[in-house]
Parts: sequence; structure tokens; C-alpha cells
Amino acid sequence: MCGMTTSRHSARFILAAVVAIGIAARVAGAAPEEATQPGFAWKDGAEVYAKVCAFCHDTAVGPTLRGRGLDPTYIQLIVRHGNRAMPAFRASEIDDQSLEKLAEYVSKAEANK
Amino acid sequence: MASKYLALPKGVSEATFDAAVKEFRGVLGETHVLTSAEQLAPYAKVMMPVPEANHTPSAALLATTVEQIQKIVGICNKHKVPIWTISTGKNLGYGSAAPAERGQVVLDLHRMNRILEVDPDLCYALVEPGVTYKQLYDYFKEHNYALWLSVPAPSAIAGPTGNTLDRGVGYTPYGEHFMNACGMEVVLANGEVLRTAMGGLPKSNTWQCFKWGYGPYLDGIFTQSNYGIVTKFGFWLQPAPPVYKPFLIQYQHEEDVVEIVEIMRPLRLSGVIPNSGVIAHALYEAGLKAKRSDYVSGPGSISDEAVRRLAKDHNMGIWNVTAALYGTKEQVDVNWKIVTDAFGKSGKAKFLTQEDVGDDPQFGYRAALMRGGMDLREFNLYNWRGGGGSLWFAPVCQTRGSETLKQMAMAKRILTKYGLDYTGEFIVGMRDMHHILDMLFDRTDPEMTKAAYQCFDELIATFSAEGYGSYRTNTAFMDKVADTYDPIQRSVNRTLKQALDPNGILAPGKSGIRL
Repeated sequence: MCGMTTSRHSARFILAAVVAIGIAARVAGAAPEEATQPGFAWKDGAEVYAKVCAFCHDTAVGPTLRGRGLDPTYIQLIVRHGNRAMPAFRASEIDDQSLEKLAEYVSKAEANK
Repeated sequence: MASKYLALPKGVSEATFDAAVKEFRGVLGETHVLTSAEQLAPYAKVMMPVPEANHTPSAALLATTVEQIQKIVGICNKHKVPIWTISTGKNLGYGSAAPAERGQVVLDLHRMNRILEVDPDLCYALVEPGVTYKQLYDYFKEHNYALWLSVPAPSAIAGPTGNTLDRGVGYTPYGEHFMNACGMEVVLANGEVLRTAMGGLPKSNTWQCFKWGYGPYLDGIFTQSNYGIVTKFGFWLQPAPPVYKPFLIQYQHEEDVVEIVEIMRPLRLSGVIPNSGVIAHALYEAGLKAKRSDYVSGPGSISDEAVRRLAKDHNMGIWNVTAALYGTKEQVDVNWKIVTDAFGKSGKAKFLTQEDVGDDPQFGYRAALMRGGMDLREFNLYNWRGGGGSLWFAPVCQTRGSETLKQMAMAKRILTKYGLDYTGEFIVGMRDMHHILDMLFDRTDPEMTKAAYQCFDELIATFSAEGYGSYRTNTAFMDKVADTYDPIQRSVNRTLKQALDPNGILAPGKSGIRL
């Protein structure tokens, strides 16, 4: 969805990008591949919440989520499927690992003040 | 035997699709070719009054490079597999991330999300299709760039490439987004990579500075179309002004819209009001402040009397005009006097500025959007009716008061017939306005969903019969809207399709265009 820019890549994601180039190069033969360094990567669940969820769930568009001890599995299900007017979010937007962190964060976060 | 796929592309056998998927995986890797029901669930969520089965994808491809996309189109041509390209997939109420037709493969470019260049002097950006407005907004802050975006209502979760390619609009002086687009890179169906206009000159440094290039201007044919896959997109940014003054003007009668538009047109044409201001009906803003159940009991549309009561209860106008002034203090002061003199003459207008309203959410979200801020509170719209159904009806209207009133009356009459509310606004250009109606319905109610479909159909037919065409539509009604335009336009579109995509692999059905 959004997040850090090129200058803030973690080593983990740069490594992932290098591996991805390797895989692509193998299947593509000698064809040159463009760098696959991503434009952003989520830092943690709190960042996903602040940069996506909060725009609706902290502004009364959607229901309040934090401080309710919601089940992380339920959160993940709703994020991927949407719910009525809430859109679904794809793995290309919030990857599986970040979704796990997000669900954990929302489930344990204190209520909005 | 049941297929292992949720759906198959039209006319493609499972064996052929197996071969295509295998080749897609060869290019992208196993994990970036999605075919399971669980992986594809988010791609099938729609708000339209049609079954999700109509728009179920067969697969989704997560590509991140131009070379991958070139190979993907090669595979699609070989196996005659159609792809539906999305960037952020948040075209909510217009089709979201779902393909136009059941079985199309979604080419999801959200992970292709590098900000390639931002020039703070010339005020432009060059981005990949998956870049969101929020990503850019944070980038400007991080680099301390005094640059403003122009964003549509989904702001943070949407992005400039997809919104502009669908000819979406925002609310700043740069609100007509395609007018501020400058330079594209496009992967064509044959795998060639086209850079438009000045991008065609190897050493050019004006790709994002001069729109037209030499010869025919091509960028337009890659908007609302299916002639190529845009992989780089350039656009202009507004330098942040020293002073920003958003304002709200309330009027209390529906027929006042004639006066509003007649006053607003010369102010827009002369540049006194430089941004795409909005004339919003009370019901467009009602979800922010009121519950429908407090004003309506039982089925059917809300009554005019209840709307007046609602507006009074929540200090809203029946019409709510929001616009803004940008510039130095002297410029803003002079233009504010011109605005208040013009709207103040009849004595009907009530002026409100930031100082008057404090943290009022209606003023707050409008003020945020008119400076390109990240704010999704417009989607309180969805709380008005509830149930997750939404279709945007978007006829174009002259910036003329009498036309405005006529369109509103037509829309209200048809909506009332189907028990739906007039949740409308006019986004004010110079000579035209986008009349935007969010046709809200409860998608969990089968009868209302059926009525919503019929209502939208009648809106298209009735408006087009009066010469009012839609500027954009959702994926369930693309053919119907295309049919309202001259068959010669459709024929030319088809000729271009045949020339540029002879196998018809790119987004068949977009804007009613097929081989």
C-alpha cells in the first residue's frame, strides 16, 4: 500500500530482491532483467494500521478496532475478503507476513484515546 | 470433473490454461502466480449490483518489471489468454480490482511501486503503476519537498497511474488529472515498449515537461482503453502555495443550484477560484453526521421534507459549495473579496471558513482533499444506506445553472422510482461539471440490488437520450455506456484495437472495446 521509500530499504528486502532477480534471470535465459528492488516494504503492523486502516477505522467511517481484543484470524479474514463497504486488501498490497503482524497489532493494541 | 481453477477465460480450455499458468510461473516464480480461491478472494470483491461470479478472475499475476510484463503478453498472445491490468485496484464503485469479464487473468501491478523521479524545481513526478498517493505524500515529507498532490476520495489507498488512466479527478487546481499527465511508458500487446511524446528521444530531459512531443499525441489512447499496459507514468505537481484558504458556502433550497453555478462559472473561468470546487447536496454529506434511520422509516427514498430537517439539525446546507483560494496573502485576500461579493449579492449564501467551523468533519475532509491531503472520510457515504452497494453514475453537465437543475431533477425522479436517494454532487470544472451520483444500495438485500441495477440502467438510458453522456462507468455497464455514443466512435476504437492488439489479449471489454 504505502510505506518506506528506496532510501530506507531494510537489508532483508534488498536480499529478497536479489534472490528474485536470480530466479527471473534463470528462467529468462540471458535476457536482462530490470532491478526488482521494491518501492516500499512494510515495517510492522503499526505502520500498516496507520497508513491504511486508520483512515477509516479512526475516523468513524468504519468501526473502531483497537482495544477490542479482536481475534487475529478474524482480522486477517476480513482484510482479505472485505466486509460490506470495506474493500478487500490483496497480498500485493499487504503481504501475508505483514498481515499477520497487522492482525497481531490490532488485536493487542490499546483502545483509541 | 470440476476445474482446479475458479474460472477460465472465455474460449480457453483448461489444458491450454494449464500451459499458460506454467509459463507465467516460469517468468514470475510460483508464489507470484495466484490461482487458489483463498488467494483470489480479494480480487472478486465488488460493490456493483451484479453477482461476484460475473467478475471472478481465473488467476492473478504479480509482476514487478517491464521485462516480466513483456514476457507475460507474449504468453497471453500464444495461448489467447486475456489479462485485466490493475495498479492499486481501489477503483471502488467502478469495479475495484475485479476483471471486467469472468475468467480474465488479473495483472496486478501494485508491487511495481518505485517512485522513479520527483523534480522539486519543475514540479513533476515519474512513478510506476503501483505507487500510491500516500507513498508519494510520505516521500515529499521525508524529502521536505513543498509539493502538493491532487487526489480522488480514496486518496491514501489509491494511486496516480490508475486514477489518471481512468480519467479520474481530484479537488485541487490540478484536479483534472489527465490534463496534468505528462509522458507514459507503455508495453504494447506485441511486447514493444513505447515511450510517448518527448520520451521517444533517447537523451531528452523534457519527457515530464512537455506533453505533446512531435506528431500525433498518443497518451490519450491509453486512457480508459485497452491498447497497452502503462508501466511508467509522469505527472505534474502543484507547488505548495504560501497561503491556502478553503471555504464552504451553504444554500438552503434545491433550486439555488442555478444561482450557485451562474456565480461559480465566471469565477472558475477567470481563475479567481482555481480548483475543482464541489457543489454537494446535503445527502452527499449526510453520512458524516446523521443516521438515515433517524429520518426514514420503511422502504423508499428519503423525502424532501426529511432532507430539509436533516440539513437543519446538522447545520448543513441543502447545497454545500466547497472551494479554496491559493497564493500569497494579498492574492487570497483580493480573491476572497471577489468571491464573497459575488456570492453575497442575493443574501442567500452563508459563508464558513476554517475559523468558523473548528473540527467539523464535513469541512475537514473537504479542506484536506482540496490540498491533496490523505483523507477517506468521504466514504462516510457508505454509512448512509449501509450494506456495501455503490455505483457511481457520472454524467457530464455544462457549467450552466439551468442544466444543473434539469439533471438533478431527472436523477431524483428516476432514483425515487426505485426507492433510492439522490446522493449527488457537481465537481465544477470550467465549462463542464462532473455530476457525480453515488447510487447507494444495500447489497445484502436482493430486491434492492435488483432495483439498483435497473435504476442505473434507466439513468444511463434517460440521460443519454437527453444528450448527457457518462464520462466514466463501472465494469458492469461499460458496453451499455459505450452504446450511448456514436457507432463511428466505437468503430474507430475497434480499428485501433485490431491494429494494436490483434489477439485481443488486453482487457477485453474495457470501455466496451473488443476485437
